[in-house]
Amino acid sequence: MKKFLALVLAMIMVLGLVACGGGNTDAPANNDTPAQTDTNTPADNNTDTPAEPAASDLEPVTLSIWFDGSTVTPDASATVMAELNAYLQDKINVTLEPIWGTWADFDQATVTSLAAGDDVDIYFTCNWSGDEYNKYARDGYWVKLDDLLPTYGADLLSTIPDGIWECAKTNGYDGIGVYAVPGLKDTATQNCWDLNATLLAELGYDVDEVIAFASYNPDFYYSDEFEEMLQKAKDAKGNDFYPLVGEPVVFERMVNNTSIVTGDLQTANVLSFYYDPANPSKDIGSTIVNKYGTPEFKKFAERTYYLAQKGFISPQTQGTDTSNAYMEACRADANYLFCSQSYAFGCEIEYSAARKIDVRMIPAAAPYMDSTSGQGAMMAISAVSKNPERALMFLNLLNTDPVVMTMMNYGTEGFTYNKNADGTITFIDENRATYSPWTNGVGNIRILPPTSDQGTDFWDRFSAYYDSAEALPSGAFIFDYSDMQNEATAIGNVYAQYGFQLMAGATNPDDVLPEFLSKLQDAGIDQLVASAQSQLAAFIG
Amino acid sequence: MADNTKKKSLRLNSVSTGTEIVIHIILGLFCLCCIIPFIFVIIISFSSEASIRQIGYSFVPVEWSVEAFQYAFQKLPQIWRSYFNSIFITVIGTVLSTLMCALYSYVLYRPDFKFRGFFNFFSFFTMIFGGGLVPTYIICSQVLGLNENYAALIVPLLVNPFNIIVMRTFFQSSVPLELIEAATIDGSGEYNTLFRVVAPIAKPGVATIALLNALVFWNDWYLSLLYIKRNKVLQPLQALLMELQNNVEYLNRMAGQMGAAAINEAAKMPSQSLRMVLVVLIVVPIACAYPFFQQYIVSGLSVGSVKG
Repeated sequence: MKKFLALVLAMIMVLGLVACGGGNTDAPANNDTPAQTDTNTPADNNTDTPAEPAASDLEPVTLSIWFDGSTVTPDASATVMAELNAYLQDKINVTLEPIWGTWADFDQATVTSLAAGDDVDIYFTCNWSGDEYNKYARDGYWVKLDDLLPTYGADLLSTIPDGIWECAKTNGYDGIGVYAVPGLKDTATQNCWDLNATLLAELGYDVDEVIAFASYNPDFYYSDEFEEMLQKAKDAKGNDFYPLVGEPVVFERMVNNTSIVTGDLQTANVLSFYYDPANPSKDIGSTIVNKYGTPEFKKFAERTYYLAQKGFISPQTQGTDTSNAYMEACRADANYLFCSQSYAFGCEIEYSAARKIDVRMIPAAAPYMDSTSGQGAMMAISAVSKNPERALMFLNLLNTDPVVMTMMNYGTEGFTYNKNADGTITFIDENRATYSPWTNGVGNIRILPPTSDQGTDFWDRFSAYYDSAEALPSGAFIFDYSDMQNEATAIGNVYAQYGFQLMAGATNPDDVLPEFLSKLQDAGIDQLVASAQSQLAAFIG
Repeated sequence: MADNTKKKSLRLNSVSTGTEIVIHIILGLFCLCCIIPFIFVIIISFSSEASIRQIGYSFVPVEWSVEAFQYAFQKLPQIWRSYFNSIFITVIGTVLSTLMCALYSYVLYRPDFKFRGFFNFFSFFTMIFGGGLVPTYIICSQVLGLNENYAALIVPLLVNPFNIIVMRTFFQSSVPLELIEAATIDGSGEYNTLFRVVAPIAKPGVATIALLNALVFWNDWYLSLLYIKRNKVLQPLQALLMELQNNVEYLNRMAGQMGAAAINEAAKMPSQSLRMVLVVLIVVPIACAYPFFQQYIVSGLSVGSVKG
């Protein structure tokens, strides 16, 4: 009897495991069919009716949407949603149920939720956190939007520039196409030196002259003038002062004018694409290289090591765990001379106010667009969503209707902000602290009202700046290394051992760089670069 | 001579003075190692943010401040709710899981229980094989409805096979079967035997298990991460702290890729001293639970039930 029972139990468990495992792998494939049929039928129906049916004709649905990086308390969310949902019901008969994911739980919790096929309609996704957008598009977790967009997202199509749509394309489960709605946010990258101009002036320099000298100057980092400024600052402020602050990986990118290759290893960027700092769209070879093997990198690492030896770079900058927190602290206290900065439009004004000094930005290169620009913050519709077309209608409204975007992003009038006479808004800080989604992660931020600090024409200037950015010759290229996982892991491990230290000037490149390169070689970097290069060649055509 | 023997007999269970000093020093140092981090956390929670920025964590901050405590108590109503959630989950969870564990292991301990081997295997098997995260998640959230409610934070942790084995072994080693026979002969029914005869002897074991369970429930944040998404009012304190801490780490990790956005977001994160305030709030109640359980554990050790 005992043996029999044990056998039965074992069978049940084994079968249970198989069933679970099977269910899991099947999920995306299975889900795909209903998603497609769902999307096709209403699309056909809709050809008879106008593109925007009246709200009363639509079935009431509840959509749940998962944001990332939110600081929203349950009470504040309830207050805002009460008003937003009333508006949404009038417009598209939708009740919104937001999930305010935080930075911390996002990766883990969404992954589980997606794999389990939870009833979440819209997920925030992007290409930097774990490359979820491209990976899940390949695995069939997102609904391909190309066919749905003309019907349910017509306004979206016209609002978001073609360049951004181009960047949002990826080779997914149903072929190349758009699998998520890209957010229209800070869609260009520009590396700048963040300069503490107050300190520089104290040291007896003419700030404007320095800025003119340093702007777009590829040799600035290597110049004697740069070293002299750091030295003077160090002499003036004492031995505990480290004038050069920032993120070592960004230093490398801004000094050498290299861009991140989207889809590069998640733990480490080992590939680089060099561009012309003054003219990013100019084709200067269009090649992807192992960034550590270039003479430029060697020169950079040697220079950084030299500067670190001189005492210009803090040991805290050289630790992966401490570097960002240290940078925050230094910047908050205006305890630096030069710092790396990936430019966000208007940030020098905010920074000057926050740090109570004159912060100036020195562009190291012109702003450029690449696939990172289009995939930085996106909203994807889950393949298991029961109402993908309604979800798209909501995204359409979110990105084109200022009322919805403002409520979603800033909260409601009288609760989180007050309107001023000139059309700007002023936050009620106390409540805004309880309702503060990640602004850039919500969608088209250009339809938000300007804050009083930003000034009335802020968004016009914002758009003008970002729209002027040129696309890199590599354009919207995304590297896919899914068939080289072993090499990727090995390279990632080698990078973790050497890469950051070299860029931070913590180790002497004369001793370490050859060893690092040979280990990278052993780990298979050549194959990885070759694969990336051939993919890029195929992409450019 | 007589004095000598007396002295010796007095020191029957003791070691030489030198050894005793060494042992005291070692244990004293160990205690310090345990206590100092906690004292450090308390000091940091009372340090001003400017002081932390200036000299980092220090036993003697430049400036003391209760600002972080004030902020936590006045501006973060969720802390109180989470506090309540944590206590609620811990109390209910500990009582239920200890009861289940004691009952389960009691029948495994009784040799006259017919399906002993099967139920032994039933619990033991799950120690070695698990379904994995996603299937577990599907079963819990979609089949059992453990989603956005207190049950989701309690039920998945109720049965712990390791505790069952510990408890069973405890029964086997400290409750003699003769006692049960004797009770049966005296006309005691099964429930009476369990609650009036066995339970008092098993107190130390039950207390140990209860303490272990209380710790598990108090310290858990992972269930909240998985199952509490929409209704974050239910978050326990640990989940709140973990979220704050992970947010900061995540932004650090992603800073190179997110650029300016990461910096702006990091500025929104609570101060270091506020995080330490949360640590203090978390540690205090559970630290108070130790002495409470300890009295049972100690008293149980010296109690015997069968003589000869």
